[in-house]
Amino acid sequence: MHTNPLNDELDLSKYARGLNAPDTFYGLPPMIEFCSTCVISNQRPNSAVEFKHNKNSKKATIRFDENGVCDACKVAEQKHGTIDWDERDRQLRELCDRHRRTDGHYDVLVPGSGGKDSVYAAYKLKYDYGMHPLTVTWAPHLYTDWGRRNHEAWIHAGFDNYLMTPNGRVHRLLTRLAVENIFHPFQPFILGQKQLAPKMALLFDIPFVVYGENEAEYGNPIEDTDTAKRSFQYFAGDDEDVYLGGESIAALKGDYGLEAVDLEPYLPADPQRLEEKNVEVHYLGYYLKWHPQSCYYHAVENIGFEAAPERTPGTYSKYNSIDDKIDDFHYFTTRTKFGIGRATYDAAQEIRSRDITRDEGVALVRRFDHEFPERFADEIFRYLSLPESEFPVASKMFEQPIMDRAYFDALTNRFRSPHIWMYEDGEWKVRKTVHGDA
Amino acid sequence: MKNIRLIARMDIKAPNLIKGIQLEGLRVIGDPNAYALKYYEAGADEIIYMDIVASLYERNSLMDIVEATTQDVFVPITVGGGVRSIDDIRELLRAGADKVAINTAAVARPEFISEGAQIFGAQCMVLSIEAKRRANGDGWEAYTDNGREHTGLDAVEWAARCVELGAGEIMVTSVDQEGTRKGFDVELVRAISEAASVPVIASGGMGSVEHLITVVEEGDCNAVAMADILHYDRMSLPEIRDAALEAGISVREVAA
Repeated sequence: MHTNPLNDELDLSKYARGLNAPDTFYGLPPMIEFCSTCVISNQRPNSAVEFKHNKNSKKATIRFDENGVCDACKVAEQKHGTIDWDERDRQLRELCDRHRRTDGHYDVLVPGSGGKDSVYAAYKLKYDYGMHPLTVTWAPHLYTDWGRRNHEAWIHAGFDNYLMTPNGRVHRLLTRLAVENIFHPFQPFILGQKQLAPKMALLFDIPFVVYGENEAEYGNPIEDTDTAKRSFQYFAGDDEDVYLGGESIAALKGDYGLEAVDLEPYLPADPQRLEEKNVEVHYLGYYLKWHPQSCYYHAVENIGFEAAPERTPGTYSKYNSIDDKIDDFHYFTTRTKFGIGRATYDAAQEIRSRDITRDEGVALVRRFDHEFPERFADEIFRYLSLPESEFPVASKMFEQPIMDRAYFDALTNRFRSPHIWMYEDGEWKVRKTVHGDA
Repeated sequence: MKNIRLIARMDIKAPNLIKGIQLEGLRVIGDPNAYALKYYEAGADEIIYMDIVASLYERNSLMDIVEATTQDVFVPITVGGGVRSIDDIRELLRAGADKVAINTAAVARPEFISEGAQIFGAQCMVLSIEAKRRANGDGWEAYTDNGREHTGLDAVEWAARCVELGAGEIMVTSVDQEGTRKGFDVELVRAISEAASVPVIASGGMGSVEHLITVVEEGDCNAVAMADILHYDRMSLPEIRDAALEAGISVREVAA
């Protein structure tokens, strides 16, 4: 049973100013530090294997060197410096030559949302490398209007596309559970996004899958960039110790009224079949010098991509990660758990890409990182609510199945790690930010 | 036939001249003073400096650039971005600016336009409108913060109101077209021109001389601001001027 957080007795003494060793959640580093060249903090978790993620998971976090430089900045340095991009381009041409088909069959599978990065990837492969891509999309929780238009513009620019839209009730339930258990509303999207492409590759017999950028560009271990191939651990595994929304498969079936077929879209591909079919998953970012801003330029120029009609709450940007309404809450929850909001992620990327300076990044973080995402909040809370009429079994597992702002605020407090947050003068404050201490 | 001014629009993120697409994805182009001089020597009728991140960063950093530019550039210079007070205007004029462009400060307090016009004259007060077509097709909304923040204001009504308050000129930038090289939002420019009794500068989207001709003829504007086409050397000002003259647009003839 998920208790109503409005009835929680919060021990505010854990959140007092000046504590010697405040508690830390999620296995995060107890001392908060900021990269000396970008604005990311050492609290940033690496990508997790989401289908194992549950309440007890401990985070591996971004590595800083002895000079306080994060791994993501080092990857950026390599991109701007030592990597021989002509050689990488030659490797990509060879790879494409090996997979290219002219017999009427697709020869590369490109997963994507129709955002600037997937537009760029599919477009390059088709028009510059002579491939015949099939694009596949795992639908956002709730499309923004402009996200939907961009997705359509992408397809209309010359691509076949399969759009997989998961069962809305199952997706809502898993999203609510992911919020309730691990405060991670974006998790059901990430699960589907990672599982869909390899499974579609098997289904359509296209053993060559190409994603855009490597996650190491944002702070996964730098060793991850040494190879183009995506680690199978992210999308293949056995069902046994699988968790979705932080709940075991057994619980989802037993307590929440789901059937095996409901879970199918979220479950990993069979690793043995991936082996047999020699499915290869590559990152285009290994072969082409990835620059998100250039992808945006390319997408505007070639498919009529449109930026959002407003900046995203919590940040200044309007060109990246703009197609899912729940995204606003994704970054709100990362700030709650790790002290890292959307402006921090955006500014860190743009500093590494040499689009803005660190000083500018710090100013942007100061102005935007803390913002609560009001614009879609009511719609998101309705989405996260599980009324008995629609969820006769699952709703019984919640003391209060209906989500509203007060519930969400109270739930937020459960996930504030005391080493990041303090409570003072009736206000929650981040103890240490890139622009100074509270 | 009215004379059409050709204006080099220079968006600034100090210390650099920068350029984006749809006011997003800002790229460093180079030293603003060098570009201003180049455009002046190529026959630009005016220069517009817009510190387009002034509101974003809550700073105001054009003074030095304006001062340096006025040493060797002798056409009217309009400066916008982060102009919040009468003192800001006074300092910019002292630094050599001829006009100031106001957006955020006017949205926050429309009387600011009147106050500025009373002290410095309406000819000095340029209203800058960042307008984006509403998704439901119902006109255009005015934005601030480089096309990031909604104002809820109808761009055309806003233009008319500010003219009543004393704005002497309007620069209207289409957020949708800006940086795309796909042409101006001609309907927007025409709607503003019809609603406002003062000169209108069309901005955002120029990718060819045809775009200029269309916005002058159909948009009924008095001046055209161009950025991408100049910064990326797609065409030079003399080429644009000659092509405009050939098309019967009355632009200033510059001795070669």
